[in-house]
Amino acid sequence: MYRHLFKLIWNKRKQNFLLMSEMLVSFLVLFAVFTLLVYYYQNYKKPMGFEYKNVWLVNYSNGDKIHNGDSLKLFYETLKREIRAMPEVKDISLSSSNVPLTQSMIQNGFFYKGKETNNVNTYQVDDSYENVLQMKMLEGRWFNKTDAVTNTVPIVINSSLKEEVFGKEQVVGKIIGDDKAKKQIIGVVADTKFKGDYEASGMASFSRIDSSSIHWMGKMLIRVTADAGPAFEGRLYKKIAGYIENSNVEIEHLINKRKSINYFALVPMIVLSIVSCFLIINVALGLFGVLWYNINRRRGEIGLRRAIGATGRSVASQLVIETMILATFSLIIGAFFAVQFPLLNVFDLSTGVYMTALVLSIIFIYLLVLVCAFYPGRQAAAIYPAVALHEE
Amino acid sequence: MIRLQNIEKVYRTDTIETLALNSISLDVDKGEFLSIMGPSGCGKSTLLNIMGLLDAPSKGDVRIGDQATLNLSDKQLAHFRNKKLGFIFQSYHLINDLQVLDNVELPLLYRNTTAKERKQLATEALEKVGLSNRIKHFPTQLSGGQRQRVAIARAIVGRPEIILADEPTGNLDSAMGSEIMEILIQLNKVDKTTIVMVTHDENMANKTHRLVRLFDGAQVQ
Repeated sequence: MYRHLFKLIWNKRKQNFLLMSEMLVSFLVLFAVFTLLVYYYQNYKKPMGFEYKNVWLVNYSNGDKIHNGDSLKLFYETLKREIRAMPEVKDISLSSSNVPLTQSMIQNGFFYKGKETNNVNTYQVDDSYENVLQMKMLEGRWFNKTDAVTNTVPIVINSSLKEEVFGKEQVVGKIIGDDKAKKQIIGVVADTKFKGDYEASGMASFSRIDSSSIHWMGKMLIRVTADAGPAFEGRLYKKIAGYIENSNVEIEHLINKRKSINYFALVPMIVLSIVSCFLIINVALGLFGVLWYNINRRRGEIGLRRAIGATGRSVASQLVIETMILATFSLIIGAFFAVQFPLLNVFDLSTGVYMTALVLSIIFIYLLVLVCAFYPGRQAAAIYPAVALHEE
Repeated sequence: MIRLQNIEKVYRTDTIETLALNSISLDVDKGEFLSIMGPSGCGKSTLLNIMGLLDAPSKGDVRIGDQATLNLSDKQLAHFRNKKLGFIFQSYHLINDLQVLDNVELPLLYRNTTAKERKQLATEALEKVGLSNRIKHFPTQLSGGQRQRVAIARAIVGRPEIILADEPTGNLDSAMGSEIMEILIQLNKVDKTTIVMVTHDENMANKTHRLVRLFDGAQVQ
């Protein structure tokens, strides 16, 4: 029977072309939507890797009032000591502008044995940064005062960067970079989703703020007690504004920043899902209409098949299977294009994301086709052979 | 071979009730070639459809061979039609998207036969109707007479005991019609196939063993 159906489909290839094209386009759109959804879901399932609750972000501008790096460092040390002395403050850290849960991003290459790994997020941070964000050390240690007097620049990397560059190797103590800028890995920290719940942590490298880089610091992260409220926020503002004269000081809460950045990720996903829902409804109605039309056009054939020995059920099955075969052809073509994404690494997503999206899209298209073919198939089964043959 | 007893067929709509067949009783013997004649709308095709189990009577009983057909399920009816009956229609009812050989193979698809067996039986049937040189053609590439011969090949490919032909020469000119009639006569004579044929053509009907005439749904001869 399958050979017969293949012949029938092949001989009607011109009529079937549009139907197959419709299914192919639907598959490709679904594949895009599912890829995005799977990517977001896989990221969402992973732990944040840091604690954003009760962490406040202070934005300030210190201008260029103190030119000497060491003097500026001392200036900030005094400020931090004063802030830390407040009872609601647990710890405080300076940070480069790419603080967690903001869109700000600083990326550099990571050199090891002459090979450069790109798109590595680079953070300039304090010794207390790990404690403020409650990050998890996996190997080695975080920065401390002893790192101020080493010959090589100490860095901490995250586990994604470690896996990408070193695989399963032991990395603590390794020297990286070229002769001009040698760095030593002193620790590996767990991945942190600094771009919100739905974005991947990416590769990251942390280095300690020194007297040359301290000029560019404009952010402070402060871990506060759970009962720290607006009254404390007012006192904190006054203290910082009083200390850094003529500065624009702004205090934000990371818990609110998380909501904002998640919206930023969710909005395109929701828009794309709504668009694809409309598309799927259109495709479903189109498929349903085409199949319905086909059945009316083929009433004579259906009547004949019933007359020569087909049961109502086998007629219905034939129509459903025919449509499923057409869907299979479309999906084979669609899958050919879909597998190019992981093979060519188009969007730098893992193969697992693409493969899951591919399987989900295939299942969805088959279900859609099955649902759309089922009712017209049942209608065909109900056609009385004498009536169908007479109409013809 | 076929026994119809008190067959009545009523078509009902919301407002009208039409009596298409009124108390028809008819016996067709094994190996008989019977023709049914009558004016348009007298119920000839309805009677043939009831004999072919394509339509159910409103009243009465249909027996084919030893089999009472009244209470057969859809599956049993389909199986019975496939094994015992062959159909020939005025408008051929060939599937234009299938080649001649595939059209002839169709009834065998609903049996447990291999592709090889199907091809062999279909080729034999086409040889019988003189179309073995047209197996790769599509129906649209054939003349009316050739199409009807394909339809006959399809009707006989499963070696049914009964062939039901609804105006098989109705769409053909007289020469083609005679050719088709000759094939049916040969099938009846050589293979002893029972044939019931609906026709408008008195000459064709005269070539059969027996003629039944219907008028307004009732048997008048």
